[in-house]
Amino acid sequence: MSVSPIGRETARVDGPLKVTGRAPYAADYHPDGLVYGHLILATVGRGTVREMDVSLAEAAPGVLAVYTPFRSIRIINDFAGRGAENYTVLQDTTVRFRGQIIGLVVADTLERARDAAALVTAEYTSTTPRTSLADSGPGTSPGAEQVLAPGVGSIDEALASAPVTITTTVSQHAQHHVAMEPHATTAVWQDDQLTLYCGSQGPQRHASAIAASLGVEPAKVRVIARYTGGGFGSRVPAWNEAKLCAAAARALGRPLKVVLTREQLFTTVGHRSAVRQTVRLGAESDGRLIALSHESDAEMPAVAGWPLMPAEGTSAVLYRTPNIRIDQRLVTLDTPSTWAMRGPGEAPGAFAVETAFDELATRTGIDPVELRLRNYAVREPLGGRRFSSKYLDQCYRVGAMRFGWDRRPRRPRSRTDGDWLIGMGMATAIYQGGRGSSSARVQFRDDGRVTVASGTSDIGTGAWTMLAVAGADALGLPVAAMVPELGDSALPPGGSAAVGSGATASTVPAVQAACRSAVTALIRAAVENPRSPFHGLDPADVRYRQGRVSSGRRSMGFRDLLRAMGVPDVQAVENTEGIDRDGPYAFQSFGAHFCEVRVHRLTGDIRVSRFTSVFDVGTVINARTARSQLIGGIIWGIGGALLESDPIEPDGRYAAANMADYLVPVNADVPAIDVHWLDHPDPQVSEVGARGLGELGNVGSAAAVGNAVFNATGIRVRDLPITLDKLL
Amino acid sequence: MPVVTQSEGMSRRELLSRSGVVATAVATVPLIGADALAEEAPGEVGVRMTVNGTVTPLTVDPRETLLDVLRERLRLTGTKKGCDRGQCGACTVHVDGERVVSCLTLVATLGGARVTTIEGLADGDRLHPLQQAFIDHDGFQCGFCTPGQIMSAAAVIEDGRARTDDQIREQMSGNICRCSAYPGIVAAVQQARKEMR
Ligand code: FES
Ligand code: FES
Repeated sequence: MSVSPIGRETARVDGPLKVTGRAPYAADYHPDGLVYGHLILATVGRGTVREMDVSLAEAAPGVLAVYTPFRSIRIINDFAGRGAENYTVLQDTTVRFRGQIIGLVVADTLERARDAAALVTAEYTSTTPRTSLADSGPGTSPGAEQVLAPGVGSIDEALASAPVTITTTVSQHAQHHVAMEPHATTAVWQDDQLTLYCGSQGPQRHASAIAASLGVEPAKVRVIARYTGGGFGSRVPAWNEAKLCAAAARALGRPLKVVLTREQLFTTVGHRSAVRQTVRLGAESDGRLIALSHESDAEMPAVAGWPLMPAEGTSAVLYRTPNIRIDQRLVTLDTPSTWAMRGPGEAPGAFAVETAFDELATRTGIDPVELRLRNYAVREPLGGRRFSSKYLDQCYRVGAMRFGWDRRPRRPRSRTDGDWLIGMGMATAIYQGGRGSSSARVQFRDDGRVTVASGTSDIGTGAWTMLAVAGADALGLPVAAMVPELGDSALPPGGSAAVGSGATASTVPAVQAACRSAVTALIRAAVENPRSPFHGLDPADVRYRQGRVSSGRRSMGFRDLLRAMGVPDVQAVENTEGIDRDGPYAFQSFGAHFCEVRVHRLTGDIRVSRFTSVFDVGTVINARTARSQLIGGIIWGIGGALLESDPIEPDGRYAAANMADYLVPVNADVPAIDVHWLDHPDPQVSEVGARGLGELGNVGSAAAVGNAVFNATGIRVRDLPITLDKLL
Repeated sequence: MPVVTQSEGMSRRELLSRSGVVATAVATVPLIGADALAEEAPGEVGVRMTVNGTVTPLTVDPRETLLDVLRERLRLTGTKKGCDRGQCGACTVHVDGERVVSCLTLVATLGGARVTTIEGLADGDRLHPLQQAFIDHDGFQCGFCTPGQIMSAAAVIEDGRARTDDQIREQMSGNICRCSAYPGIVAAVQQARKEMR
């Protein structure tokens, strides 16, 4: 085995378990004595719970406990330790948003817990919640940022001086992660030690949050999240239901499982904020930018959450311009906690700026690809740093060629196929691509295999396989000889969470470092162990290569060596530092999306018929899982453009809080997707040269769809999603 | 083949606390809650169905769905609950050879029925052609929707109605994959379709 698996097609090592239904997710555990919990959520948008009648529920068969604010269970506020919400569940009677947890019923079966929960009634005093961005805005700004050319007094002045100006205001309602696995927690206490089975994007962070909210030592909580049914951001924090489940299991002295219903998920585990954005462009008549302004108003729930910042990851880093200003405002609303959702600010931000660019292309008559090349940035327009590595121009050119961009109708609404209007659109993708700190443990074992462990998580990203590929590459062994381990907070501290598209870029260097150290440790053991054939040699004369240890003519595989020494394993743990985010380089991954749509002339029905995207992500570790991630991101863009929306009603109720009303793409919404990447390792990011790609596909893809719809119909829809009624 | 098992790295204590979790023979699995239900005889319904080839007599609360009985009582947790409302397809199994969403199927109605779940699809340790095809084409990411996708696809192929990619897309649209592995799913169904002929 001498060919490195890096960049090749490696099948998921967790595949066999997943296709046979044997991979255990959080709700699949059945410890002895298990009981079931069912949550009760508030049905007013803001107010106070005056009283709750739990008598019927308590008298119902099989019910073990009913917890409410009036008969609570102690949970400690861990907001300071990176919690999502600033209040503590069940510790007071305040209702801060509709759908807040106000109770938990525990019973011996699932059916009994659910039915008993339905018997609980609540009386409220309620007031009108603030739910509308438009009515409550404009928000407060954490501080606008700008760069102005010498002698220019303000961004408005720069815009006013431009021969061509474009003003585009776009808006979207709340969106939801809708991971297919509902959040579930199975809590098992043994003496004072808690094992928590739950989905998680970072089991180690999760464990410390749970420990803090229970008031126990972090070492007393072990989070096991080996299989996680999607995250997309929603499984970064430990949410209230997990804390409640752990606390109730402790109080009852029974293992407890709490699985949220699909409807409950819409208000309890974060959502992407609703947001309105205005992009103003000022350009020369040849399309070169003079000024760019990007402003936004997004929700900041009174209970806190993720601040949606759509401009800093898009307009601030995308195009060369002498004058730029971004102002990202937050509006306080009585909505459930917001949280990062795949391309958290970048996906909506790119929709705004890439729509505006399409409008500028239309206005100036310049081809959209050419317009972007004319405004190509080699430095961040706002921050001024050079990019570590950037081949976006190639993405545009290769993408245009693969897609057949030259066949794009120049005039909107000029090509038809029967009753179908055909249009093509494109947009740029960009997403931060640095790397964070990580850790890994590598262990040579006397069964001839190697454990490669890291306290990260695989939420579908392919991290299991990434560990195996990275270990196999570093040790010159087959992928099949690797035994990956992840998704367990008990693994060496400092594992990278699956966030910010950074787990692979961060973890591969840690695995490489741990492999090198494990080899050093193996050689040291070989020269020091009296039973080793290499005993007494100078370590400098002993080599490791492709699983074999040798010196002169003596050579032995590590399995036989370990057996000869009578040592079951030799291991090493390494921690690696991340890259300084404020260092000299800006790390970004890039891409170009090209989309063709067909819009029915009479019904307005929109079908995405072709999609081509070309990416610049540095080194790809596993072609197979990388392709899936990029395709998944693109499909999220299709969903964002055409389907996903959850308007909120004045009483604080989400109008589409279920999977029949909150539409996500299904198979028939998705055409064949052509994904391609360039092969340019990033020399600044790490030795292996891999930047992130998990969210990149989702950035700009909605704009490519919207721009194609405009090209097909001549209608510019700025309020997402683009539905057929808006095209008639 | 690389091995990733749920017992990797598990402590003895944890193993003990979870004994019984991985049991696969239906007959040896304790029926949790059976004792409690016995007290409530008037509401019970006796049902005898065949699950993955094993005759399985059960006494059920009439509220119990096939999905919950499979998962919580028979410990066949390969079948997943994504919505419990018939909206996502994660819970798809076969009843008498037809695909159904098990979350909307009450066990009380299944007397004499033949139920096949993802655990009963493969022939022993050899993967079913669809299972292999899903691996070959990366027809999943997180894997949570996958048992439902595969059971759905098996029925679609059996039906013989889905031949073109577009027909497969249409027929498979009741199974949502939020990871959006759709192109891989279509390719996997195409591959397995040819092998299963
Ligand atoms: S769980 Fe049955 S369709 Fe979603
Ligand atoms: S593989 Fe994650 S939902 Fe389909």
